[in-house]
Amino acid sequence: MTSYQEMFLKADINRIYDEKYRENQRAKVQNNFVRSGNKKIKNNRKKGWFVRGMGIDLPFCLIILVLLIIGMIMMFSASYPVAYYTRNDSYYYLKRQLIFAVIGVAVMLGISFFNYNKLHKIAPFVLGVSYVALVAVLLLPAINGVHRWIGIGTFGIQASEITKFAIVLFFAHWGSKYYNKMEFAKYSILPGVVIFGSTAILLVLEPHYSCTAIVFMLTALMLYISGMKMKYIAIGGAAIVVVVLILWITGGLTYAMTRMDGWGQALIYTDEQMWQDTWQTRNSLYAIGSGGLWGLGLGQSRQKYLYLPEPQNDFVFAIVCEELGLIGAVIILLIFALLVWRGITLSLRAKDKFGKLLGIGLTAQIGLQVILNILVITDWMPNTGISLPFFSYGGSSLIMILAQMGLVLSISRTANIEKQ
Amino acid sequence: MAKNYIKYHKKSDVGPNQRLRRRTVMLILLILVAGFGAVISRLAYLQLVDGTYLQEKAVEQQLTDTTINAKRGTIYDTNGKILAQSASVWKVVLAPAYFKSEEQRVEVAKDLAKILDLDEKNVYEKTQQKSYYVVVKRKIESDTREEIIKLQDKIEEKYDLPNLVQLLDDYKRYYPYNDLASSVIGFTGSDDQGLEGVEYQYDSYLTGTPGRIITAQNANGTDMPFQYEQNVEAEEGNNIYLTIDETIQSICEKYMKQGLEDNAVKNRGVCIAMEVDTGAILACVTVGGYNLNDPYTLPEETQKKIDALPEDKQDAATGEALSQMWRNKAISDTYYPGSVFKMVTASMALNEGLVDDNTSFSCSGSMRVADARPMHCHQTSGHGVQNFTQAICNSCNPAFIQIGQLVGAEKYWQYYQAFGFSQRTGIDLPGESEDLFFSQDGSMSIVDLAVASFGQGIAVTPIQMITACSTVANGGYLVQPYVVRQIVSSEGNVIQNTESKIKRQVISKEVSDKMNEILEYNTSSGGANNGYIAGYRVAGKTGTSEKLTSSEGSEDYISSFCGYAPADNPKIAMLVFFDTPKGEFYYGSKVSSPVFINIMSEVLPYLQVQAEYNDDEREYVDTVAGAYVGLTVSEAEQKAQEAGFTVTIKGDGEKVTSQIPGVSAKIPNGGNVVLYTDDSSDSETVTVPDLVGYSISDVNAIASNSGVNASISNAGSSDVVSVSQDIEPGTQVKPGTVVTVKFATSQTLND
Repeated sequence: MTSYQEMFLKADINRIYDEKYRENQRAKVQNNFVRSGNKKIKNNRKKGWFVRGMGIDLPFCLIILVLLIIGMIMMFSASYPVAYYTRNDSYYYLKRQLIFAVIGVAVMLGISFFNYNKLHKIAPFVLGVSYVALVAVLLLPAINGVHRWIGIGTFGIQASEITKFAIVLFFAHWGSKYYNKMEFAKYSILPGVVIFGSTAILLVLEPHYSCTAIVFMLTALMLYISGMKMKYIAIGGAAIVVVVLILWITGGLTYAMTRMDGWGQALIYTDEQMWQDTWQTRNSLYAIGSGGLWGLGLGQSRQKYLYLPEPQNDFVFAIVCEELGLIGAVIILLIFALLVWRGITLSLRAKDKFGKLLGIGLTAQIGLQVILNILVITDWMPNTGISLPFFSYGGSSLIMILAQMGLVLSISRTANIEKQ
Repeated sequence: MAKNYIKYHKKSDVGPNQRLRRRTVMLILLILVAGFGAVISRLAYLQLVDGTYLQEKAVEQQLTDTTINAKRGTIYDTNGKILAQSASVWKVVLAPAYFKSEEQRVEVAKDLAKILDLDEKNVYEKTQQKSYYVVVKRKIESDTREEIIKLQDKIEEKYDLPNLVQLLDDYKRYYPYNDLASSVIGFTGSDDQGLEGVEYQYDSYLTGTPGRIITAQNANGTDMPFQYEQNVEAEEGNNIYLTIDETIQSICEKYMKQGLEDNAVKNRGVCIAMEVDTGAILACVTVGGYNLNDPYTLPEETQKKIDALPEDKQDAATGEALSQMWRNKAISDTYYPGSVFKMVTASMALNEGLVDDNTSFSCSGSMRVADARPMHCHQTSGHGVQNFTQAICNSCNPAFIQIGQLVGAEKYWQYYQAFGFSQRTGIDLPGESEDLFFSQDGSMSIVDLAVASFGQGIAVTPIQMITACSTVANGGYLVQPYVVRQIVSSEGNVIQNTESKIKRQVISKEVSDKMNEILEYNTSSGGANNGYIAGYRVAGKTGTSEKLTSSEGSEDYISSFCGYAPADNPKIAMLVFFDTPKGEFYYGSKVSSPVFINIMSEVLPYLQVQAEYNDDEREYVDTVAGAYVGLTVSEAEQKAQEAGFTVTIKGDGEKVTSQIPGVSAKIPNGGNVVLYTDDSSDSETVTVPDLVGYSISDVNAIASNSGVNASISNAGSSDVVSVSQDIEPGTQVKPGTVVTVKFATSQTLND
């Protein structure tokens, strides 16, 4: 009795083991097949999706649109009380920004069909236009004590917007042209010093120090990726520090001084003047701090009720922090990071040096502006007027940024993904 | 990974393209890791670590906390008459932080100053502050409020500053009776806080709980459009019912004021009326009070004196004068009670069984104790041999020195304490003083004892004295005096009900009864000098004491009378005293006793104590004239004669058209009623004769001869002389008019 039963049992177990073994074997073969097959499919899809399908890098384009939409919503949320109280129309800023965004997206898509290589030759000319614009604003009457805007009817543009683009464009042109000679000072440090120096002088005369800083960073960045020797970058940086110090000591930085007086002291103001000077930064910190981890909820900011002046402009991200909390802020910053990463990596795949350098420069500019803007609103940098791309209100800068993104998309059309 | 990547490529291939890739990777790392990393960690620090602090600061500026003043409780007298009440007024608050230009400041300051009747310069200084809450003026009334609202509308229209000027609810204290019971009620300060009297003592009950409105506001001070409002309703303060009876208080004040003037009293006077069984204070007067609605205005004379001072001393002098004026003399000042205290000394001796009716005391006009100089009796010829009752009635000091020595220093101190003298009475009013005994531990010399036995050398407060007097009257129980009967919440719930508190029994009921008997005899035998009131059984004792501060041989006295009624069942005790009378008399019998009589004659009927007249008294008691108008002449004549009046008919008409005295007017028994039957004789007048200085029968005769009625007042025995009349001699009056004539005993009692 017992032996029969045991025999049955054993046979049963063996059968189960056998089946399991066979199953495992099958799965292993299948997996190997799937893995190798997927790789092929993935690469094919990439090609089809990004290059053959739409012709542009769709993820990059989507990231831009996502940022634009989030930025629009947040700008509206931040601006409606101030629009209501000062313009008597809560939608005042939203309506305008929407028009600019539509124009900007159209421009972006339009430019994406434009062959960016045509800019290669006119780069020096664009730089010339930048100089003309910088000189022109100095001749125009000052607005709020600074010469920054060139007006065309009711539409105005900051000369520095042109300059930032012109600098990137010119050094992309220069870097690609003399890519193999960049190790020589003549081709790297010399144009860097001459062009940055002359531009900086005009910008300081406006005065527009934050733009000067960005122009310096863009110059250094472009020369660096073009292959300039590291020691020149270091020397250049040191030189700038020395110049700023000298200006500071001689009192040439009067405008920035008044701005910087309250720098880092928004919460420890000691006198009336400082209290007034740091009003905007202090209320920005209050807004950011009020957000906490989860935020007060979309539309629930209190600081935007006239406590934080011009919440729709440079300080829009403070309201974002207040309403969406650290979580929301980090998600938005991650999307920006994604944009920067995607923009730079796709630029690397461009088929020519000019495209690579231009794409990297234009994308990096977005990243730099995001970093500097948040350093300003968190009181780690003097309050000197750096807008947040896609978020801050302002038609000309939005259109300008979208146009630049159009160029990056244009570059993406030529990008060969296979050629990693 | 990135490092490995770079290393790997460095080794193998460092061509130009690899350089670009390598440097681009570095750039991505720089921007994304260093840049974004720094930014995110900065945000995390601000939002997570500093978040709470920053949020607090933000909320602090976003929320506006407006305090709504609570209405202060009402103070009522025992019958619910309003003694103090708060009415709505407004506080003008400026938020100068909203000003946008100097020009606005100047204009608003000018307008505000004009409307609020303020100095433009001061208002302008207020507009310079960087604040959202500067009080410009308090307690403005509704007409001014209208103007401020108009001004605010104008400012809003012109400058778009909607919240620049605000009106906040406030309350103002009104005292409908002005100076009535001023020392008891007290007044409030500019922040509605009680400063004196009941207002101070019961401040926490009267003050309500202020309400708050917390709103989220934008930086311009207007409300944010989302819900963020929290209202805490203001809670009204509790209402207080005093034991003070406005009617009794008014009667007391009326006669105290008169007494003050009649006797040229230098240093104010006090009258306290107490319910003997409970200790409830029915009236407490510090005569020469102040208007509670205007407590900072000194009497004209005092102000003139201060104005005459050098400028630098004026402030101090004003402060001194004000605190003097506000001082509740009834509880804050001490005085030598003098002979009034003899009722206490006598009670001690009786309670200890040391004296009885048969104990005799001799008085030769003065007495020496130990080696001290002789102490004189007010009757320098001496009272001879007297029994105990006589000694009290004579107010004989040598007799009381002997009684005091019988009691002895130790027992005296024990009783002194037992009667409540060694400690504050604990009356619920601020500023009660302690009494001054010879020593802290009660030890005293034989001479001290001698002096103390007739009420000199021991300085007590009037409230202590009246409490001790109540103890003598009410069967020997020391009660706790109080002025607040009940505290009721604004909704009508009783918060606190004062129960009368008996501290201890000091003397036996028998001794108390005996004292009532003796002191009643004292008043009835002494007549008006001793507080006699016809128809009422009054017990009492006069007192004239040298002033505490007076130096040797000075002429300052305190004249007092302390008594109670009815003597067979005491209900109300009253102390009347005047500090430093400088009129014709300074004796208690001449200064305070008449005031006591006047007050009690009105208060006792009010308290529904029935007057009971003995035969002697009934003769002089007034009857009430009936109604005769409209009756025929014969009917009227018959009716008047039945009531015991004589009748004079003027005119030839058939019916009575008018009568003198009028319906219900008091006229003496057997008085003359004049009935007019037509208008012809209406203008007929008679001349009021001089009725002072005569006996009762003479007064009656002269009055009837002159065609007027004489109402006899305060004639306890036949041995009296008329001392005053209420209508001046020589005045032309209608026939039959009643002239009230007051009488006083002809014998003198100089105490």
